[in-house]
Amino acid sequence: MSSPLLEIEGLSGSFRSPNGALTPVLHDVSFAVPRGTVTAIVGETGSGKSLTALSILGIQPPTFQRSAGRILFDGRDLLTLKPEEMRGIRGRRISIVFQDARAALNPVFTVGRQLADVHRLHHGGSASRAMKRTIEALRAVSIPEPERRARQYPHEFSGGMAQRAMIALAALVCEPELLILDEPTTGLDVTIQAAIMELIGDLVRERGLTACLITHDLGVVAETCDRVVVMNAGRVVETGTTEAIFTRPRQDYTRRLLAASQLGETPEMIEA
Amino acid sequence: MRAEPYVVLRTSGLTKLYPVGGSRRLVALSGVDIDLAEGETLALVGESGSGKSTFARCALRLVEPSDGDVLINGRSIRSLGALGLAELYGEVQMVFQDPNASLNPRMTVRQVVHEPLRLHLRMPFAKREKRAIELMEMVGLTPAHLDRYPHELSGGQRQRVGIARALAAEPNIVILDEPTASLDVSVRGQMLELLKRLQAELKLAYLFISHDLQVVRHMADRVAVMYLGGIVESGRTEDVFARPLHPYTRALLSAAPVARWGVKRQRLRLAGEIPSPIDPPDACRLVGRCPMQQPACTTRRPPLIDAGGGHAVACPVVLA
Ligand SMILES: Nc1ncnc2c1ncn2[C@@H]1O[C@H](COP(=O)(O)OP(=O)(O)O)[C@@H](O)[C@H]1O
Ligand code: SF4
Ligand SMILES: [Mg+2]
Repeated sequence: MSSPLLEIEGLSGSFRSPNGALTPVLHDVSFAVPRGTVTAIVGETGSGKSLTALSILGIQPPTFQRSAGRILFDGRDLLTLKPEEMRGIRGRRISIVFQDARAALNPVFTVGRQLADVHRLHHGGSASRAMKRTIEALRAVSIPEPERRARQYPHEFSGGMAQRAMIALAALVCEPELLILDEPTTGLDVTIQAAIMELIGDLVRERGLTACLITHDLGVVAETCDRVVVMNAGRVVETGTTEAIFTRPRQDYTRRLLAASQLGETPEMIEA
Repeated sequence: MRAEPYVVLRTSGLTKLYPVGGSRRLVALSGVDIDLAEGETLALVGESGSGKSTFARCALRLVEPSDGDVLINGRSIRSLGALGLAELYGEVQMVFQDPNASLNPRMTVRQVVHEPLRLHLRMPFAKREKRAIELMEMVGLTPAHLDRYPHELSGGQRQRVGIARALAAEPNIVILDEPTASLDVSVRGQMLELLKRLQAELKLAYLFISHDLQVVRHMADRVAVMYLGGIVESGRTEDVFARPLHPYTRALLSAAPVARWGVKRQRLRLAGEIPSPIDPPDACRLVGRCPMQQPACTTRRPPLIDAGGGHAVACPVVLA
């Protein structure tokens, strides 16, 4: 078996408050993301899941101070890279989709222009070729009338459409090896959420991507992910295959989280 | 024969239009009829923009309805003046989604909880304080919390304060607008148990607004499903979940993710996204998205049709 694409080893760190006091928030976080899998990092507010994800890309808040740990991507420790080396990885080999896509897109440029600019940055070529690729990417994520949509600004997109455009950018224009999705459907309506998660699952499988899905929603995990990392209060509680986590949880915290997520629903109620 | 249950909140034809330039109008709510019986929980479910919050606000006249009427404990609120409305808020109260946004950050919990007692019941301080302590215990907080500011509380504690404030003046109807939407799942369960306990103890009727189908199934006796400003299906919770009739309800229920391994469901997919609520055509609201659409669907808006057993659906095609 090949080595995992991503391995986080003993990541620990604290937030520094304005008066200099340190509040520990990550405690010896370790897990691996095997190649070609969708791995979920699940946890409630303050569990440290987003901070871990942002650290992979080196875009954690400036007040976060790492005290220990390694982040091995394809065998190299990202934390030892020079800023320009990191820029060669961020957006090219690892890309991210954020929760609020409309806020993540630049409001003053059309959606098509933004995607095409990123395409040229990463792959070179002419502006018209980049736009052609952009429109193909928008079509691939099922945005209707992609030629017209490409000429629109982010505020003209609904939340669900904007998230599709972000996924087109992060997964298709960037063509990364590792795609990080930070709460990509939180705040979207359930019917839209279901469609977006289906899209993510299809893209990952068709293109052989490796993905890391950060979420608080165990329902989304059960349907989409191969492996699960459960986090609580800055620690990894348990890791395993999705089947093992859902059917044979070993830790009490995982059991409680599952029970709370199921809210008394029995399997019979759901099959109906 | 069983006596008809006593209806504490009834809306008839409740409608809210917002002018949006020229003669164009945004239909936020169109002709909604609802009965809420004493002590029961009726859930309004729907996705964002379906009109749930507008309904709640119109039912309390926090915004003025454009048409229709609301009866609270048998009394029309249409022509109530400021004094009448102040009294009304002793009978019906609201709990909001985001306890952060709905609690004044500069008021202590004491001030928050005293306010309705002072405004709606004109209680003197000593009585208010006694009631405030009682309320803290009712919602699972302690009298020490009365001296805290909202930012010193967790999200769950803030929502408990929101509930205490709503219950202060002893209403018999509480409208809950997404009361658990901003809470973590572990806190969500506790909050729902608290709401159930308070309902049983105080014989409260809940109008429970939520987009979270799991929560609705857990809480509600009856459900009304909203889409684009109108009710498309209503009935007893078990019936609607076990036998959803309207294509929109089917799409919604089948889209909700389930936190279980190996649940494979047949998903009903709707085309496209929710259309604009501005000047909608006189047609079924689901036209253009519905996999079961017939030519007749575009010629008029189907009313709610009785499907038996208190189950009603605004789609003649699924009943044919
Ligand atoms: N003050 C307002 N002015 C104009 N449109 C509004 C206003 N408030 C709500 N709306 C519109 O009314 C519709 C119903 O909104 P709302 O009741 O907030 O839905 P929900 O609570 O189900 O998400 C939406 O299209 C919304 O954009
Ligand atoms: S009336 Fe027609 S368009 Fe509307 S839900 Fe029924 S079948 Fe679909
Ligand atoms: Mg709302």
